Amino acid sequence: MSNHRKHLSFLCAMLFFAQAPAALADETCQSPYMPKITGQEEFVYVWTLGAEGVGDGSDKLVTVDVRPGSETYGKVVAALSVGGRNEAHHGGFSADRRYFWAGGLDSNKIFIFDVHSNAAEPTLHKTIDSFVKDSGGAVGPHTFYGLPGRMMISALSNDKDHGGRTALVEYSDEGAYIATHWMPTAEEPRGALLESPVVDGYGYDVRALIRKNVMLTSSFTGWSNYMMDFGKMLQDEEAMKRFGQTVVQWDLHTRQPKKVMHVPGAPLEIRFAWGPKNNYAFTSAALTSQLWLIYEDDKGEWQAEAVADIGDPAKIPLPVDISISADDQSLWVNTFLDGTTRLFDISDPRAPKQVYQKQIAKQVNMVSQSWDGKRLYFTSSLLANWDKKGADNDQFLKGYTWNGKELVEDFAIDFTKEGLGRAHIMRFGSSKLYSG
Amino acid sequence: MRARLKLLAALALAAASLAVQGGAAASEPQDWSRAALARALDAPLGLPPVLHPADNPPTRAKIELGRKLFFDRRLSINRTMSCAMCHIPEQGFANRELETAVGVEGRSVRRNAPTILNVAHLDSLFVDGRDSALETQYLAPLTAANEMANPSAGYVVALLARLPDYEAPFRRAFGAGPSLDRIGMAFAAYQRSVIAGDSRFDRWYYGGEAAALSAPERRGFALFAGVAGCTACHRIGESFALFTDQAFHDTGYGWWREQLRQNPPPQQLVQVAPGVSYALPWRTVASVGEERPADLGRYEVTLDPADRWKFRTPGLRNVALTPPYMHDGGLPDLMAVLRFYNDGGRPHPGQDPAIRPLGLGQRDLEALAAFLAALTSPEVPRLVEEARSAEPDNW
Repeated sequence: MSNHRKHLSFLCAMLFFAQAPAALADETCQSPYMPKITGQEEFVYVWTLGAEGVGDGSDKLVTVDVRPGSETYGKVVAALSVGGRNEAHHGGFSADRRYFWAGGLDSNKIFIFDVHSNAAEPTLHKTIDSFVKDSGGAVGPHTFYGLPGRMMISALSNDKDHGGRTALVEYSDEGAYIATHWMPTAEEPRGALLESPVVDGYGYDVRALIRKNVMLTSSFTGWSNYMMDFGKMLQDEEAMKRFGQTVVQWDLHTRQPKKVMHVPGAPLEIRFAWGPKNNYAFTSAALTSQLWLIYEDDKGEWQAEAVADIGDPAKIPLPVDISISADDQSLWVNTFLDGTTRLFDISDPRAPKQVYQKQIAKQVNMVSQSWDGKRLYFTSSLLANWDKKGADNDQFLKGYTWNGKELVEDFAIDFTKEGLGRAHIMRFGSSKLYSG
Repeated sequence: MRARLKLLAALALAAASLAVQGGAAASEPQDWSRAALARALDAPLGLPPVLHPADNPPTRAKIELGRKLFFDRRLSINRTMSCAMCHIPEQGFANRELETAVGVEGRSVRRNAPTILNVAHLDSLFVDGRDSALETQYLAPLTAANEMANPSAGYVVALLARLPDYEAPFRRAFGAGPSLDRIGMAFAAYQRSVIAGDSRFDRWYYGGEAAALSAPERRGFALFAGVAGCTACHRIGESFALFTDQAFHDTGYGWWREQLRQNPPPQQLVQVAPGVSYALPWRTVASVGEERPADLGRYEVTLDPADRWKFRTPGLRNVALTPPYMHDGGLPDLMAVLRFYNDGGRPHPGQDPAIRPLGLGQRDLEALAAFLAALTSPEVPRLVEEARSAEPDNW
């Protein structure tokens, strides 16, 4: 694609966004800069962790056909191994949606897949294996958030101590390193207002509300924890002290941290509302099992407030992925340890109420929904060493229809039986994006 | 006598080596290594001189190369782990954030990462004493599947031979390229420079500075060397103190931890945020965890039943810098350790008779903790600075 054409494509996307913000993405939790799929998604890409003794044991990008009526509907139509177990975790499209960037939390490799040449069979376009060196010591590339012409990557750790202090790192769409923005800490607040008793410098997700020039980051834990055996960690008092307790508000354009808010219990995914007047986002604190609202108050200041429990916090259900509906009326919340998805009515964002729940399997992690909210997809794996062991280690992609009252299973793929591995993040693909 | 001869030979060789360096490549050594070499050849207050093997006298070039190797994350199978990822300079050259270490791909290690501060003075290495020389010790973590997981020792040699940034450092240090021996000698030379004495205790006990210790610290020392009987194992000599008898003891701790492993409590208290903890059923913990392996300590080296649950007496210098404590990091702070010994360990057949109930009160324990904190060397920040004299090597 020529630069000129790419710029045109981006300008078109921006124009659409300016006029009709709620129509610029299919699945609801993507970067709003991205062009949308018109109609039904055709493929679900699953960034999959290799598992020892399962298939070739390698991380891979798995492509599943979800075209209704297709002979291969609900089947794996491609699986591209990248070699090694990199702790495949999250990924995101470039803003022009022609490439899918996926990271390895352990190896720090970044794999850039071409999804536009043949949406049914992505190819590996480029591998960046210099992330730690490029960034000056950030470890664990996690969220890939497409910005115009560049990719914003939130890291989880660092190469000094494998703890939680980390950074945001920017690359160009071509894969060239641009900049590192270290998270504010108590010692180096970098100009941020510190409204938290703890300023940990930890990272996890990164999301933006463009029209307010606000970018938010959440905070998880460092390499030592996210790589270690989950059961061992739960018994390690020192390790359990090392989880994020902050959400940071940034100036999106200048990358300047503005404010550090106190959100204890490891706040993970950040989901901004879509409505043009809805100046808020949700995040879930994994360990304390609470939904938090990050919102702009009457004075234009951003605040954090716990607004609901998720299940029984005393049982540590471990909320993981969340997915907001396009109309900002509902939020799906997965809880890993009980394998359950829960639907919250968030019509009053300050008082979310659970209205439905269903156990998907013995464990569940990611959830993605179509823009119309009618189709939901679930995967199983949290982290290689956090997944359940033995017979409880369900590994799958499952597709469901949401009929407004209940989830009805459409298909299920057993990722262990198929020799694939541990299914993690999902992204939607369609050949129609590139046919014009 | 033999040790002294060994030292003299080493010093002579080191002097010769310095002369060569000074003539041929005066501009090449890095500034920090001058002090490091001087430290390796000297003895700070409270410590004996380091005994360098006759065939591995220290040089600045070796120390610099050893530091580079120690911090190189490329020296693991997937380029994520260096020695320093577990022996973290800012955390007392240990790891304060984990009870037990985590290796490549997050694999579990049974033991707490020990500090390398003053490791030069240990007769045997690892808490079970399975190695006796720093020149060979490095092979175990580099090739252990749950640590750095290199497929073989030869693989590491070949890797270093391929990395262009190692060519000059090896030439400067040895006049030759990488080999198993030379890698070990460089690692050892660096670690023998990580020496930290001259604590306030040393200035008080060996230096005659009466005001160097506070009254509670002096009281703590009196207990330590007196009624508490700590010096039976954590020895203090006339001219120096290593605070270890270099021997292996069953204190009751290893045995106790094994009982807990075999009979876990029905619930595990889990901190989810500061001040917020929940009791999780053990079956839930077990559902997401692999089984914790047993640790029989010295027995695993000797296979002598008399050595079950024996572990090497750790030196106590800089101990306040390296929580959590014991071979598996199971005790979070010094007070917990002191309470364990005050309780007389965990009596069982085989427990060392020196471990007995002490009957100390809270004030006594606090005085002991204060004394232990006085063993921290003022040199540690300088060692950290030297350790961080260059960024870690990464791909």
